Amino acid sequence: MVKAYRQEHVYKHPWERVSCASWRKFADPENKRVLSHILDVDTLNHSLDPSSGKLYTTRAITIHCPGPWFLRRIVGQDICHCVETTMVDAMSRSMQLSSRNISLQKFIEVEEKIRYDPHPDNPSGWTLCQQETRIRIKPLSALASMAEKVEQRCADRFLQNSVKGREVMERICKYLEAESTSLSL
Amino acid sequence: MRENKASKSLSSTSACSLLRDAYHNCFNRWYADKFMKGHWDKLECASEWQKYRACLSQHLEDKHLIRFLEAEGIVQDSDL
Repeated sequence: MVKAYRQEHVYKHPWERVSCASWRKFADPENKRVLSHILDVDTLNHSLDPSSGKLYTTRAITIHCPGPWFLRRIVGQDICHCVETTMVDAMSRSMQLSSRNISLQKFIEVEEKIRYDPHPDNPSGWTLCQQETRIRIKPLSALASMAEKVEQRCADRFLQNSVKGREVMERICKYLEAESTSLSL
Repeated sequence: MRENKASKSLSSTSACSLLRDAYHNCFNRWYADKFMKGHWDKLECASEWQKYRACLSQHLEDKHLIRFLEAEGIVQDSDL
């Protein structure tokens, strides 16, 4: 009872710009309207390893996830907290994000991994984004009997939101690009 | 009822929203201007971080999240 899927996307922007955009993805007020399911993003801790150029960050993401009425009745809440850990390796130019839910864990586990790397065909100009999502309904939970349906619904929702997320990322990249050209003029 | 829950959770850390914005702005600038350009000798924005973090530790309600806040700086490769 696991639903898993992978997605790939190529950003025609350098890795540095895409990784900057990733930090701004949830914070920008303009994007808050598009990504309206994201209620709050808080940084819980951060650390830097100066010898290797690796930056580690943990953020809390509060998501509004209103399900159908029967789900709401079982689960009793429509706010979900997720924890996202990020590792940026500046030396090898790789950014890896991993998020999972910490609320509703007795019903469902959702894990999402995203990585941004320079695109092999154009390492200085393009960025490859690989995304992997796994959704699992706990077998003994009250949702188990309808697990398949719930998983599908979650998967659909996640897919919709990741399309929105990519649109937002593309927009921030364009904005950062414009900003950097105007600075260098 | 539902709206209440949403707004309750929203308000839990929104008390810190100004401090959060100040920290995130500073972080984004440091990340783009320093870290991405090979200057990774130290994290900047220490005073913004201290203020924001102090606010969070007062307003975070979820005990799982508080655990992460207290485990400052301990993020393992294996978490990824």
